[in-house]
Amino acid sequence: MSSVRRWIAAIAVAALPWPLAAQTEPNGLALGRKMLLEDNPGELWIDRGKDLFSQKRGPRNESLERCDFGLGPGKLEGASVRLPRYFADTGHVQDLESRLLTCMVELQGFKREDLAKSALSPALSSGSDIEALAIYVTSRSNGMKMNVTLDHPQEREMYEVGRYLFHRRSGQTDFACVTCHGDADKRIRLQDLVNMTDRKQIQEVVGSWPAYRGSHGVVRTMQWRMYDCFWQMRLPELAYGSDVSIALITYLHRQGNGAVVQVPGFKR
Amino acid sequence: MSHSTTVGQRVRTLAASLCPLLAIGCATTADTSATRDDAEQMIARSFSAPAPELLKRLDQDKAQQICSKVDHAPLTQEQSAEVVKLARASIKYPSSGKLAGDWKHGEQLAHDGAGDRIQFGQLEKRKENGGLCQNCHALEPGEINVGNVGPSLTGYGAQRGNSEEIAKYTYEKIYNAWAYFPCSNMPRLGANGHLTPEQIADLVAYLVDSKSPLNAKSK
Repeated sequence: MSSVRRWIAAIAVAALPWPLAAQTEPNGLALGRKMLLEDNPGELWIDRGKDLFSQKRGPRNESLERCDFGLGPGKLEGASVRLPRYFADTGHVQDLESRLLTCMVELQGFKREDLAKSALSPALSSGSDIEALAIYVTSRSNGMKMNVTLDHPQEREMYEVGRYLFHRRSGQTDFACVTCHGDADKRIRLQDLVNMTDRKQIQEVVGSWPAYRGSHGVVRTMQWRMYDCFWQMRLPELAYGSDVSIALITYLHRQGNGAVVQVPGFKR
Repeated sequence: MSHSTTVGQRVRTLAASLCPLLAIGCATTADTSATRDDAEQMIARSFSAPAPELLKRLDQDKAQQICSKVDHAPLTQEQSAEVVKLARASIKYPSSGKLAGDWKHGEQLAHDGAGDRIQFGQLEKRKENGGLCQNCHALEPGEINVGNVGPSLTGYGAQRGNSEEIAKYTYEKIYNAWAYFPCSNMPRLGANGHLTPEQIADLVAYLVDSKSPLNAKSK
């Protein structure tokens, strides 16, 4: 079906009165999302990330081609499906984005604070370098299955902390992650909530980030997803690449093992 | 990000390295109190806020600690009783004594999901916080943009009436839901200071008043 015809179909479904749309197309929202996935603007971010990865940049005028995501310097195929993992050179469990920070600081000489400050871009902007790099590196594992192992004691530890944090209630809303993401078929207003205690749904999430967010007009990453939940929970701001973020991502990625990576994802 | 290794991590790294030699004490789940200690230390270094007192939002009170059950583990009877006791002790009433206020203002509050969030180093300051109701509850008949994390409130007063008892129960339920349903998903909106007693009384009116659109006959 041509792109134009798909759009017309999507608009036709959307224009139906609500009850009728619900009767004739019970999965109209899912259909619309599938259509958008086929012309995903996130592809542009992947191209940009590819360029950024090989360009000599930063105070040291270096590329990221020697960055080691766990499989050796510059080896990207299959790297993201093993993340987060323990890195001996930093002595720390790192997710993709905190590892990118390490490489941009250590190899290229950027300042960590500057990178962290601009990592999550404003809506309707051209996006940050690190977002483009994150989606590019992830795209090199497209079609591969998530396979986070917890062989190193620190990996096991981060997983256990993540599991604890997922259930930890605090703040003026008394929310934990599980408050909104612990049951099937729940919504905040009209927005579907993913049930992160259901393996199949976790896998759909874990395999589809970074993703292009239509309502924001930019690519969003897993670090952003964590940050934004804490914002909505009315808690303080989660620091980019912080231990709490890595612990939660370790927990979620491990729970989603077996998910097939396919980015860019598309979110509303 | 700090690269410091916590004591808990070091102890468990040692324990794990001994695992193959000892053949016991090598359970796959880490010791829960050590995990909690590590997690709390990570929380202390993972967040920022425009004012130091806002970081206190991360601290758990006693009830939140009890209610943070991993993987839907059940509450014990003692825990449940303690949460209810703490909740009952927290409830304060409007100085006017009126538990059902202005339903029109309540309607507006029920549909307002904003207030008091922290982003880009700024606290979201408004005249008043929204009530957040619509995020999780169905409200007026025919209203579509509503959540379903909590039960439907459509026709709440039409079903229950607007007696003093119902108004009091409803007020207390919004002020601190855990007084009736310990550890339920619902925020303790009054006890946590998200809403004032007067705002809650207006929400009560929106729920119970026979003139409220929430109690209108279905379209």
